[in-house]
Amino acid sequence: MSILPFPSFLDDIKDKGFKKAIFEGINEVVERSTAGMNIQDIREALRGEAPTRRPNPRLQPHADGFWLHMRPSYFHKDMTGLYPEFRLGWLSTYFVFFETITGLLLMVWYTPSPTVAYGDMLNILGNVPLGQLMRDLHRLGAEFMVLIVCLHMIRTFMTASYKKPRQFTWATGVILLLFTLLLSFTGYLLPWDQLALWAVTIGASMIEAAPPAIVGENLNLLVRGGPDIGANGLLRFYLAHVLLLPAFLFIFTGVHYYKVIVHAHSLPPQKENIGEDTAKRVPLDKRVYFIPDVLTSEMMWIAVTTFLLIVLCVWFYHAPLENHADPQITPLGTTAPWYFLWVQGALKLGDKVLWGIIFPTVLLVFFLVYPYLDTSASRRYADRRFGMSLCFALVSMITFMSYMGLPEYGVSTAPSTEIIYRMRHEPTHGAMGILLPVPFDQLAPGVYTTRQFEGTEEEADEIVAALNAELDSFSFQTLDADRNPQTTPLRDFISGQLGLTHSPVVGSSLRFSTVPAASPELIAVMEEFEHELEAEGEALHNAIGIIAISDVQGTLRRADVLIVWQEVELEGSKPVLDENGEPNPLFNEDGSPMMRIEEGHTFIHRDSSYYMK
Amino acid sequence: MATAASAVVERAQKKQVVVEVAAPSRREFLYYIWGASIVLLLGEATAGLIWFALPRFKEGEFGGTFRFTGEDIPAAGDPPLAIPAGRFHVAHLEDDRLVTLYGVCTHLGCLPKWDEGTIRFRCPCHGSQFNGDGTWITGPAPRGLDRFRMTITFTDGEVITQETGAPVALNGREIASLAIDSSDKVIGPGQGVTL
Repeated sequence: MSILPFPSFLDDIKDKGFKKAIFEGINEVVERSTAGMNIQDIREALRGEAPTRRPNPRLQPHADGFWLHMRPSYFHKDMTGLYPEFRLGWLSTYFVFFETITGLLLMVWYTPSPTVAYGDMLNILGNVPLGQLMRDLHRLGAEFMVLIVCLHMIRTFMTASYKKPRQFTWATGVILLLFTLLLSFTGYLLPWDQLALWAVTIGASMIEAAPPAIVGENLNLLVRGGPDIGANGLLRFYLAHVLLLPAFLFIFTGVHYYKVIVHAHSLPPQKENIGEDTAKRVPLDKRVYFIPDVLTSEMMWIAVTTFLLIVLCVWFYHAPLENHADPQITPLGTTAPWYFLWVQGALKLGDKVLWGIIFPTVLLVFFLVYPYLDTSASRRYADRRFGMSLCFALVSMITFMSYMGLPEYGVSTAPSTEIIYRMRHEPTHGAMGILLPVPFDQLAPGVYTTRQFEGTEEEADEIVAALNAELDSFSFQTLDADRNPQTTPLRDFISGQLGLTHSPVVGSSLRFSTVPAASPELIAVMEEFEHELEAEGEALHNAIGIIAISDVQGTLRRADVLIVWQEVELEGSKPVLDENGEPNPLFNEDGSPMMRIEEGHTFIHRDSSYYMK
Repeated sequence: MATAASAVVERAQKKQVVVEVAAPSRREFLYYIWGASIVLLLGEATAGLIWFALPRFKEGEFGGTFRFTGEDIPAAGDPPLAIPAGRFHVAHLEDDRLVTLYGVCTHLGCLPKWDEGTIRFRCPCHGSQFNGDGTWITGPAPRGLDRFRMTITFTDGEVITQETGAPVALNGREIASLAIDSSDKVIGPGQGVTL
């Protein structure tokens, strides 16, 4: 007889006693929630004993449960070590989830609008507890994910795991590589800083080159949401980054992993006969069961990898954040993200359509169909000399093309622009102008020249006095408003360039002074400036480097960096040298030297913490 | 012998395996038509999606039309008028021609600045240089600056619509108004081309 009008737990207690009924109840809950393993089964597994029940309860979660339905119930013993897979595929999957979790957390504090996005970044960095850590983890994880996915691809190629029957698995992997790159690239824009805006502008400029013109132009408009990246573009990149691309990535990760399980992990090439695929037929003594061995090992790897990432982000890596995006000013030395440098390098080879669109597309299609082209049976390293050579050739080519994509390769900037940039540029790509870290107190107002450092320390006063004297008689030609040549004294010209309104210290009578001894860091900067001018002495003939520091407001100083030099005969951007290796200085019609000047400036605030970094 | 004979039989049987395909029944045919209409619908949906997502342009915003009066236009030979909101420069050249230049470098999308000292545009990124009429001087840019189409209304009532984006000779006439369409740029002249 039931206690209640229907059978209940109370009856169990009545029949078996309280303790036993409770234990059996808990045991049943455990067995149901693990989809087949009760407490005894779990304890046996953890103790490393063989299962005592039949059918094997450790296979039940794979057969009946959702979470493990796509994980194989056992692996081949040869596949659980580091070689031959180096855990690269596992790590790629790890980063898919890692990026999803850190990304979702960042979304809590982010709004995709140009008016607030950058402010949100500052808020995440400065106000949100663990905000900076979360951003660093997300950014570092993204960089690692691109790297790991590429390495995974190289490994798969090396061990010829793309061969029959795994051709399609490889093809879905190539698609995953593409989505990984696109995800990383779309995420680049979201902080809405200068690096983001211009790196993405350069990347998106390539889309525009897609032939025919009408397709390229409209694709460009669709991606940017306008002729220019603005509010629409940011929103589109955001939506692609958090919805569209992750959706595709998850679907293809599923397809890819399903195929991996269907065919099983390919064994190391030397472990099976040529032309055989024995991965599915794992002898009983070679089986490593997922529960408990692989499961616990993976939990350990998740902990170790996450720990390493956190260590890196706490002590060694911080995601860069530059100045607020400014669609009107392009910073010098802008490049695409590192994993797209190879495309930028290819672009330098010639036609934008051929190298920016056709070449990457051909490469991608080649990777996609490669397993269907290479149908040779052997997976042994020794039998694959062509394949191996191709692999190394492609890796070398991509590496070299990435090098070609750097600003240093094949693009010449005027040496004067380059030097001024190195003196004063805002923090970009983890570096900043050498003038910026000089402590505010050492930036004594005054006009200083590199000439001072051409002689010994004792001669400094004399050299500067001589330059001041020379300035009175030094003049050259410029064009006036009506484009008529006009003789301008160098003194007036420099004063004009410095902008009198900004530089009360300069006033109408420009006089150089020696750098105060109390400013050792400014002296070091001036010496470096002098060395750089000397190194470019051929193009910058008789160059004078000038740094003028003026008070703008009580706590803000303006530093002007100028280079004045005599124009030399140029061919392209290189100076023409005579037989003695000397450049050929140019003169105006009236015999005065043809002078050139270039200026750049920066503002330094007393509370700016450049020098503390 | 037996195996050879069976092989012959097998081969004969293989030859006989000719799948006879009946003419499509009404039901089968209607399924194909239905399938084709789904494909068509998907195509239409894609076209609709592109139409939906293409940006719209407004008057006075980048991508839309900009209007100027004669007074806004710089005098011949003056520095080009920079319109940051539209990312273009209106250049009134010394020989009294007018051209609208898209302010974005044809190399990799940076913004060249006008340098009055040397009378040219200089790109801060990779040092490309362009004349006042946008033609290429030097640097890695593949071509001169791109242009925008202009519609010029003169004070004498004549209206010129410049479809090619090439400089328009004003021949000393006064401009009443100028409309610049910044939605669609015209590819600039190649290296070495002077106009």
